[in-house]
Amino acid sequence: MESILIAIFALLGLALVFGALLGFASIRFKVEGNPIVDQIDELLPQTQCGQCGHPGCRPYAEAIANGEAINKCPPGGQSTIDALADLLDVEPQPLDAEHGEEKPRAVAYIREDECIGCTKCIQACPVDAILGAAKQMHTVIISECTGCDLCVEPCPVDCIDMIPIEPTLASWSWSEPRPGVQIIATDRGHRAAVTGSTT
Amino acid sequence: MINVEVAFALPDEQKIIPVKIEEGATAYDAVVRSRIVEVFPQIDIENAKMGIFGKAIRDPKTEVLREGQRVEIYRPLKIDPKEARANRAAKLKAQQKG
Repeated sequence: MESILIAIFALLGLALVFGALLGFASIRFKVEGNPIVDQIDELLPQTQCGQCGHPGCRPYAEAIANGEAINKCPPGGQSTIDALADLLDVEPQPLDAEHGEEKPRAVAYIREDECIGCTKCIQACPVDAILGAAKQMHTVIISECTGCDLCVEPCPVDCIDMIPIEPTLASWSWSEPRPGVQIIATDRGHRAAVTGSTT
Repeated sequence: MINVEVAFALPDEQKIIPVKIEEGATAYDAVVRSRIVEVFPQIDIENAKMGIFGKAIRDPKTEVLREGQRVEIYRPLKIDPKEARANRAAKLKAQQKG
């Protein structure tokens, strides 16, 4: 009888200790939101262009975290898809043509001789990159412009051009190595052994 | 102290200057504090139209700012919108005739 009581009290004590530990950890090390969303959001180009069908990059990141396809971001292009595939450990896919095609990065430019100060482009801009007000000259702040194209269509006088940014000596860089490509042969064997596929 | 920004833009050169101002300071104060006239001497801060995030304000000297706002200094349009519309209509008419 006594040995049964000892066993019950010992288990009860352990349960209380671990319960208190878990309760403490859930309060002390609480994580706000899903941390994977932040990592996905960091890889997206932050153009806020809505071409993926979501109202911005953050909502798309949340959708990806919930299992949506990773190939809906034309501004990011193949390099973003590859980076996402690497992060989420899924197979990279080609860009979904339904959402647009990959274009070189561009910025909007307003032809001032034609601007009538209607503010339509300012309301369309998702990042407040156009400076102006009603019946005042509108000007694109190039450092803020993400090249999302959203201001072009609303302009009633068609005075906005998208000018591709030519890489200059200051901005040119090596293209990044594609993540997911295995450089060492033994890695390939290891990955095949892990995932059961031969990529 | 609150943080605001002062911005001015030309087609090829734009500047957004972050400034710290006292609570209760006006848009005009922020523009003076930003010393944006030293970058763009063509700005006439006494008479230039100003606004906050795309909305013109009536009097920059009485408009009290809040945290995070962007004071924008505007330039006039190069064309008169009514005239431009008349020109476009005339052009369209000429095209239809010819």
